[in-house]
Amino acid sequence: MERLVFDAAALLAMLFAGVMVVSRDPVKSVLALVVSFFALAVCYVMVLSPFIAGLQVIVYAGAILVLFLFVLMLLNVGREQPDGMPRPIQTVLGSLAVFVFAGLLLGMLRASGSKIPLLTDGLDPVEMARPAELARLLFSDYLLHFEAVSVLLLAALVGAFVLARREDAP
Amino acid sequence: MIGSIPLSDVLLASGALFAIGVAGALLRRNAIQIFLSIELMMNAANLALLGYGAALGTHEGQIVVFFVIAIAAAEASVGLAIFVALFRHTETIDVNKINLLKW
Repeated sequence: MERLVFDAAALLAMLFAGVMVVSRDPVKSVLALVVSFFALAVCYVMVLSPFIAGLQVIVYAGAILVLFLFVLMLLNVGREQPDGMPRPIQTVLGSLAVFVFAGLLLGMLRASGSKIPLLTDGLDPVEMARPAELARLLFSDYLLHFEAVSVLLLAALVGAFVLARREDAP
Repeated sequence: MIGSIPLSDVLLASGALFAIGVAGALLRRNAIQIFLSIELMMNAANLALLGYGAALGTHEGQIVVFFVIAIAAAEASVGLAIFVALFRHTETIDVNKINLLKW
């Protein structure tokens, strides 16, 4: 049952990721990715991480993709027009790279997926999914990383402000 | 196994999503769509991390994904600011038409 839900959500995520890649209209692309991220949030719940699934919906689908949509509307970017310049070498090399990469990655993952040692015997899934333990780790063992991320976010804030402001502004 | 989900299912889904993201980053010419493909690749990596974390019975996978999401937010804001600045200079965000660094 869990496997069925996970596989269905993963297939939905892949389908809409495909729509995102194929679409020439960037707005359609962003909306397809929103659906894909919601399906991925379902996958996250199925692998015992409901807190991360909540973050995925709030931060990724809610904030980051809305920011993308906002910038698309601001810049008024239209559909990608075919530019009438065939690039046969790039097309062949690009497709080849994708296929070789996908084949290698999937082969590697299939080979390793059955071999890693699993320590799940006697593990309580409810205990795994509780965010309390996550918070304890985050504010003890990973406190330095947490503070580093806060500095990074401040730097990104200042950087975005400097980059996007007009040059003639005071 | 996570519940009744085999780890190989999680890893296959993650690898397929990553490959779709690579294809998007190579195929599209609109800079924002390339950026979206990169976000998709990060999410594929997150799925693999969560799958391994749950299969090994630790919380470390979730912690790493937490940081990845925070860094993705920072990256998106700076990246989009770069696109806005670029659009102001060149009136396009088609990566084939932008050759500021080309001699």
